Amino acid sequence: MRVLALTLLAALLACAHAAGPRDYSKLVAADPRAILVVPVVNKSVEVEAPDYFLSTLPVPLAERGYYVFPVNLVKRVLEDDGLADASMVHDADPIRLCSIFGADAVLYATIEQWTARYVLLSTITSVEFSYVLKDCKTSAELWTGHHAMQYDSSAGQQGLLAAAIMAVAEKSKPSYLPMARQANIDAMAFPGPGLPAGPYRPEHGHDLEPTSPPR
Amino acid sequence: MYRWGDYDEVLYQHYRHPEDRQEFVEKLTRIILDNEQRGARVPPGAYAEYGWALYEEGRAQEAIKYFEKESSLWPESRVLMKKMIAVASRSRGPTTTGPAGAVEPVIR
Repeated sequence: MRVLALTLLAALLACAHAAGPRDYSKLVAADPRAILVVPVVNKSVEVEAPDYFLSTLPVPLAERGYYVFPVNLVKRVLEDDGLADASMVHDADPIRLCSIFGADAVLYATIEQWTARYVLLSTITSVEFSYVLKDCKTSAELWTGHHAMQYDSSAGQQGLLAAAIMAVAEKSKPSYLPMARQANIDAMAFPGPGLPAGPYRPEHGHDLEPTSPPR
Repeated sequence: MYRWGDYDEVLYQHYRHPEDRQEFVEKLTRIILDNEQRGARVPPGAYAEYGWALYEEGRAQEAIKYFEKESSLWPESRVLMKKMIAVASRSRGPTTTGPAGAVEPVIR
């Protein structure tokens, strides 16, 4: 039930940030196969959030048809080299960073928001993420994404007791993981604001015609 | 496209409870075996994460085997896997210093 309610609400509350047709020409020209996902920069106060969010990134990205480097291995390798701070990694030269791993593009993800607020018989869980994909050869931005979601524990609850129980349950164990999963899927969905199919998807190279701007 | 099993949950739990190393290794094994037994393509990164987990356990020789598997299944990983194999080859088997002590710098 809770899962269903979450899905429905996610659909209702997800904020779409797509604004007009996107320019995919740089991404098409770069045609990356292998994406390096580096540790996540955290703008929330939850110190564990970036690692949790990082764990949700490989699946949706690989499902878009790209090779995704092993995120935990990459994180540990960077840490061992003194790059434990994600913002240092984000600020580093992408070309040099990529050359270490042999990547074609690098995905920088940032947590803008990751909170669970208890407000009168209801807990509102909010997540907001931004994504930037950069080319490993030129450092140019190939794609950017942004997604925000909210879950209200009181939605769909009949009666005060049920609402109170749900609010406490959500506050003690917020639905961060399912929300992060859904946010990634929505942000990367294509057609939509997301990523066109990578080389491991059969529609690679054939899914851009209807929405791509004239060259 | 791939049979991930509970891949993201496994990574998430590893960050939540880094002390449960055995469980982490076992769960990664299960995902890999589930794919291999069905003749499915093991998802990108899974062999490499598993290899890294073995390496951190001090099981360098086994780790190399999985870095090689990642490299041959996913050619995009070759540059990194070559480095990982070199690092694991230099390691002198199980160490007493624990995961952190067993790790050699990859980036030079």
